[in-house]
Amino acid sequence: MATVAKLKSILIEDMNLEDIAPEELNADTVLFGEGLGLDSLDAVELVVVIQKHFGVEIKDMEEGRPAFQTIGTLAAYIDEKTAA
Amino acid sequence: MRIAIEGLGLVGGFGFGADALRNALKGNLPSPGTLRFPYGDDSIEAPAFMADTAPLDQFVTKRSLRRIDHFSRMALLGAYGALDDAGRLDSDPARLAVVVGSGYGASATTFAFLDSFIQDGDSCSSPTHFSNSVHNAAAAHISISLKATGPSLSVSQFEMSVPSALLCALQMLRENRADRVLLGGVDEACAVLGYCRQRFFGAPQGPFDPLDFGRQSAVAGEGAAFLLLSREGQGEARYGYLNDVQMGRIDQGGLRLPEKSALVLGADGHQGCGRLYQSLPIQGRAHVCHAQAYGSLPVGPAFDLAAAALSLKDDRLYPGTESLGDRSLCCLKLAEDGNFGLVSLSG
Repeated sequence: MATVAKLKSILIEDMNLEDIAPEELNADTVLFGEGLGLDSLDAVELVVVIQKHFGVEIKDMEEGRPAFQTIGTLAAYIDEKTAA
Repeated sequence: MRIAIEGLGLVGGFGFGADALRNALKGNLPSPGTLRFPYGDDSIEAPAFMADTAPLDQFVTKRSLRRIDHFSRMALLGAYGALDDAGRLDSDPARLAVVVGSGYGASATTFAFLDSFIQDGDSCSSPTHFSNSVHNAAAAHISISLKATGPSLSVSQFEMSVPSALLCALQMLRENRADRVLLGGVDEACAVLGYCRQRFFGAPQGPFDPLDFGRQSAVAGEGAAFLLLSREGQGEARYGYLNDVQMGRIDQGGLRLPEKSALVLGADGHQGCGRLYQSLPIQGRAHVCHAQAYGSLPVGPAFDLAAAALSLKDDRLYPGTESLGDRSLCCLKLAEDGNFGLVSLSG
């Protein structure tokens, strides 16, 4: 849950989602398309942001794609990588 | 061919819009805000005329701005403001050109990108910061947002950026490469700029007075000033006409002031440039200076053009109430290295 909370604030701050409040987001919030509305350029930014804040590198987008579904899947991916 | 000034889009320490600048030109000068920056082991607060881009909400959604930095937001607000002022927000943008002049460019974003590169390595450098740091970012954001498909150009020549950009804009209109041109100047005040000003000039010596040529009194400013231009006869010249732009070097004898014109001097409180204005043969000729309304920044000449345009529209040589009569107006910018830019306007 700590990772989800941190991700929510990072998403709003680093992706400049000024029109969204943190309480509007939860683990099931979809990141791309009809969810948060992020796009391919955001995906690149997100890779950088995750490496910067969590020290987790996403080098293979095939591996990263399932993680980029929702805030919850991304948090789980980060937790798994930081625990390894 | 004369060029009509159809609209003005202005944002700076004085506020947003032509009325806000007019109010400042009348003598209701804005109070400077604060620019905070690290200096050695200390943090320094320096006065600076800062711009608020909140009025952009009138024109675009917050979501569409999320990848656009403060520098480009100022430019975007200036561009939308000029179109709105001219009543042309809904006009076909197909043959609308965008020409942006800037002395420093997107300095805050550029240095933030460099800092992230140095501190965290290239793999942690923000792609959004990078995209905003490229030279044509502001002009590109304007063209994309307005769906303008005419030429989109950025010009940087430090204090001559605006006269130089204006020459390009006039040429685009004269060559029929566009029907209208959004010509603007934009610069921002950031921590690095604050540091540099402190390092090279120290704190301002007394009150900001650009007509006191021998004293270093400059206060930093930021903002954007845009003019919507079109060929004479193809748009309503609500703010008069641009007649001519000249650039050259003072020491090569190129500067010739038109006889019957009042001068808007681009002095901005820097002693180095002040001595050049001091040596001009302007005794007995009406001359004014408006930097106290917007601050000291390389694209000050864009604000001077806007101020001259307002003077023409109102038939009043601001800050006074004297009529211009049959005089034209000339905006003159002198740079410390001896370059000059001279723009002639008339009603």
